[in-house]
Amino acid sequence: MENQMILQMLHDLLVDVPCEFGAIAIQIPKGSDVKWKHAAGNLNDKYKRITLRYGKGIAGRVISTGTPIHLDRFPDNIIGRDLEYPIMLAEKLISAYAVPILLNGSAKGVLLVGRRVKKPFQLHEQKAVRDYTTKLEKVVFSHD
Amino acid sequence: MEKDTVISHYIIDSQEDEIKRISNELHEGVGQTLYSVFTGLEYLEGSMQEPAMKSYTAEIREQLSKTIQEIRLLSLELHPPSLASSGITAALKSYLKLYTSTYGIITELTSAGNERRLLEKQNIMLYRVCQEALGNIAKYADANLVHMKLNWEAEKVIIEIKDFGKGFDIHTGLAKRSGLAAMCERMELIGGTCLITSAIGNGTLITLSLPY
Ligand SMILES: Nc1ncnc2c1ncn2[C@@H]1O[C@H](COP(=O)(O)OP(=O)(O)O)[C@@H](O)[C@H]1O
Ligand SMILES: [Mg+2]
Repeated sequence: MENQMILQMLHDLLVDVPCEFGAIAIQIPKGSDVKWKHAAGNLNDKYKRITLRYGKGIAGRVISTGTPIHLDRFPDNIIGRDLEYPIMLAEKLISAYAVPILLNGSAKGVLLVGRRVKKPFQLHEQKAVRDYTTKLEKVVFSHD
Repeated sequence: MEKDTVISHYIIDSQEDEIKRISNELHEGVGQTLYSVFTGLEYLEGSMQEPAMKSYTAEIREQLSKTIQEIRLLSLELHPPSLASSGITAALKSYLKLYTSTYGIITELTSAGNERRLLEKQNIMLYRVCQEALGNIAKYADANLVHMKLNWEAEKVIIEIKDFGKGFDIHTGLAKRSGLAAMCERMELIGGTCLITSAIGNGTLITLSLPY
């Protein structure tokens, strides 16, 4: 099963980076809302009910800009209000890094990793996460 | 009225007027214009032959559609366009729907008795107080579930907002920031009351009461 495989990849990521939480939001089917479809290290199942708001918060902004975003100590130094960051609140994250997952060159998904302590993601850790998305791009959209 | 109260009313009224103006402008102005652009793009896309151009246009159209959607939600958060015509229960219902899909917290709303038509000021103040309470729940309560109850009694309406989260010590909570205090002050300005009860480990209950 692809889902099993993706979940295993997320669990590996948590160990490799290392970090406490990892999740993938994607737009399936094409053109629909973007939702969190896979998560590892989650505290609750709120992520399952969350629909990303376009251009808002860490994941919504990754989708709308197509570029990675790093939050080093939420809720300090953020763009907008803390309430615009649902996944940070739901999972009690303090440091997080999110990168776009591309489909035919445009951002149709997000890979987010997070920590519940103030421990910013170092450059080599950020690179490790970006490298993961290349692997993920091949599998996350395959059951489209 | 006390001088301070007059000033509070004035400040809040002018703020609310401004928010309402922005919300309407987003909903009716910017939103409508973007929608026309969207329809135009759809038309262009339909007449395009070249696959690369066609899919590029489709991509832009999708971005536009998401922007239009977000503007609609923003306007709902700022000042629901239908608050005056449809009343507070309907406004809260759509807000809760948005709240669940934004924060993943399950909500239940019940309304008992016959809904009365409230003054515009009462409507917006109740809406703001509920938003503040729900925002606090998303930020601090660690709750999966919120119950909201509206009770339309003979003389007054009672609104209860109950979360099943971790609870907090009200005295330290009130001392820390001003959101909770502002909730109570807003209720007092419209002749109502706000009661906050919370127990560590047992969730929080906000009870709003407003005489007609
Ligand atoms: N529903 C709730 N559950 C748990 N804690 C709460 C809740 N509502 C408020 N609090 C606590 O009360 C404090 C003050 O809340 P508030 O006055 O609204 O300030 P703010 O939202 O600006 O931080 C919060 O920092 C939090 O610790
Ligand atoms: Mg608050």
